[in-house]
Amino acid sequence: MSGLKKLISFISAAAVTVSALAVNTSALETYDPYSYDRWGDAVASQAGYTAEKYVDGEMIGCGNFYEPADLFISHDDLMYIADRGNNRIVIVDLDFNFIREMNEFDYNGETLTLKGPTGVYVDQYTGNIYICDTENARVIKCDADGKVDRLFEKPVSELYDTDVTYNPSKVLVDKAGNVYVVVKSVTKGAVMFNKEGEFLGFYGANRVEQTAEVLANAFWNLISTEEQRTRSAKQTPIGFTNFDIDDDGFIFTVTDSQDTRTDLVKKLNPRGDNILDSLGAADMTFGDTSPAYYSIYSKNSSLNDIDLGPNGELNILDFEHGRVFQYDKECWLLFIMGGKGYQLGLFQSPAAVESHDNHIYVLDSRKNNITIFTRTVFGEIVTEAANLYNDGLYEESLEPWQNVLKYDGNYRRAYIGIGNALYNKYQYKEAMDYFEISISRDRYNRAFEGYRDIWLKANYMKCIIVIIVLAVLIVIYRKLRKKGKLIYPWEKNRKAGV
Amino acid sequence: MLDLTRGQFVKHVIMHPFEGYEDLRWKKAGSMPIAIVVVCLLFVQQIAYSRLYGFQYYSDYDKMFNIVPYIFKSFILFGTWVVANWAMCTLFDGEGSMKNIFINSAYALIPYIAAYLIGTVMSHFLIRDEYVFIQAVEIIGTCWSFVLLISGIKAVHQFTFFKTIMLMLLTIVAMIAMLFLLVLLLTLFQQVLIFILSIYTEISYRFRV
Repeated sequence: MSGLKKLISFISAAAVTVSALAVNTSALETYDPYSYDRWGDAVASQAGYTAEKYVDGEMIGCGNFYEPADLFISHDDLMYIADRGNNRIVIVDLDFNFIREMNEFDYNGETLTLKGPTGVYVDQYTGNIYICDTENARVIKCDADGKVDRLFEKPVSELYDTDVTYNPSKVLVDKAGNVYVVVKSVTKGAVMFNKEGEFLGFYGANRVEQTAEVLANAFWNLISTEEQRTRSAKQTPIGFTNFDIDDDGFIFTVTDSQDTRTDLVKKLNPRGDNILDSLGAADMTFGDTSPAYYSIYSKNSSLNDIDLGPNGELNILDFEHGRVFQYDKECWLLFIMGGKGYQLGLFQSPAAVESHDNHIYVLDSRKNNITIFTRTVFGEIVTEAANLYNDGLYEESLEPWQNVLKYDGNYRRAYIGIGNALYNKYQYKEAMDYFEISISRDRYNRAFEGYRDIWLKANYMKCIIVIIVLAVLIVIYRKLRKKGKLIYPWEKNRKAGV
Repeated sequence: MLDLTRGQFVKHVIMHPFEGYEDLRWKKAGSMPIAIVVVCLLFVQQIAYSRLYGFQYYSDYDKMFNIVPYIFKSFILFGTWVVANWAMCTLFDGEGSMKNIFINSAYALIPYIAAYLIGTVMSHFLIRDEYVFIQAVEIIGTCWSFVLLISGIKAVHQFTFFKTIMLMLLTIVAMIAMLFLLVLLLTLFQQVLIFILSIYTEISYRFRV
């Protein structure tokens, strides 16, 4: 068996090498770029992004970072870094020129300082800055000059248990000015405030994963008394870790958990319902599937940050393996980049991911720097093809997808893209071939239906004639057998009529 | 009446589920070679079902092919059925010999095998919406085989209907027990083998030093 596997991997490696020789490829990465095939097996792939350089505090000119925790790129192209260990927010432009830092805030004459800030967000409609001042248990809303407008402190409400601590870690704001705060000790979802700072409730809780233990507990709860029930442990979901909001107001959440597979990535509508669920999220997997051959760790991914790119791409950061997974807006895997290590492009403790234009920025809280990934030629082609495809322009995406295959024959999505383009051009037979390679049975079924229709229309008369001739032949055969005129050599004693 | 060849008797049995087996018994026309061919066809059918089915319905993980499950699903299951049935019928005063049980059971499988092979061929011409036709063929074949099997077991042991059903249920229980013992035996042999191997390794190290 291993011999066969070796052979297959050798052939695919040879194919990759040949295709790499045929076209210009990007610089060698410090990790093996890979992707997943239809069966969830890791296969070698081309790098869609290349780690270009890194930037640390010294290079920016603001002194080294110390355990930075969050990164945010605002609508006016400024990058905000929540430098947790130094209790400040560093603001740089996208060329990493130091603009200013924020560590003192003016609150009606009173001076506030930060203690361990872990989250920062800039409202693109009002320009207000929101900072999670974690160890001071508050969220600061201020303008660009550091003048505090409002503090969002621990809610006083029946809904919020008084013995639950308030340690806000991430924050974001929607169009209406509602403030959503991820609080680590709250598992019911994000704490939600309105513009005036009133506590509205919790938003978008995860579900409890249905495990055997949960089902068993549900059974015992049926037959246990009230007193026993209050004493037994409660099943609580895992609260989500991080989120981001897109321009349409949908909030995407990620949950940092290695034990559960439920609700790891969600797209929430304003009501707090997960719409990825209705799009068939049960089939979608995010992060590494458990047997990732290219990983020295056999652990599940733990997703700790999500970022929305300009075309609705999802960049999801995996803390466990130090990887960024990029998905397009239909949640198809585009690229995987990064890994664990010390070299450029590898991470120790990645804390945040942001994207701008064709760059992806990853903040590492142990390396205390920001790594900048830039899209490669291959990445550009795939992105172009995927965007055309997602806009429904299948025929226009044909050529980009064919280019993708020149770079990477393992890229399953390209086969589906080409197949769909051919299907739309009524070239069913060719489409069937591509769908078969990509092991996409639904699409194959549709292409086959079209192919069969055309074939039947063309050969309608022939089919009828063949059927009639066959029927006549069978009737004649049976008559001959019955009369005993047709006797096989091995049937010596055969009589007629049997 | 009924001077058919052994080959023609196969057709006669399948087409006459209720008296075919009795005729077969009286004429002693069961053929072991044909029965063996049928069991081999069962094996082929199992592989065809998982490997040659229409792509729009089903495709298996095709990076590797393991033949052991197919051997189990055809030869081993059929063999256990025959042995277990024979072992059980001796307790019930059944008249069947192992050979006759083998032949009758194998003949009973023919509609099942044929239906699934036809279904496999049909799956290359039909789209998913029309799966119901394939399903109909497969269900009819399975039911037909089941009726034949009851009739065959009934005829070979000269039982009443209810006794036959009882025997078949007990046969399944016996099959499970046999397979369990088989697994146990294999595990034990493996342990013994490992033990002998480790002794060999120990001794060979001894002599080398």
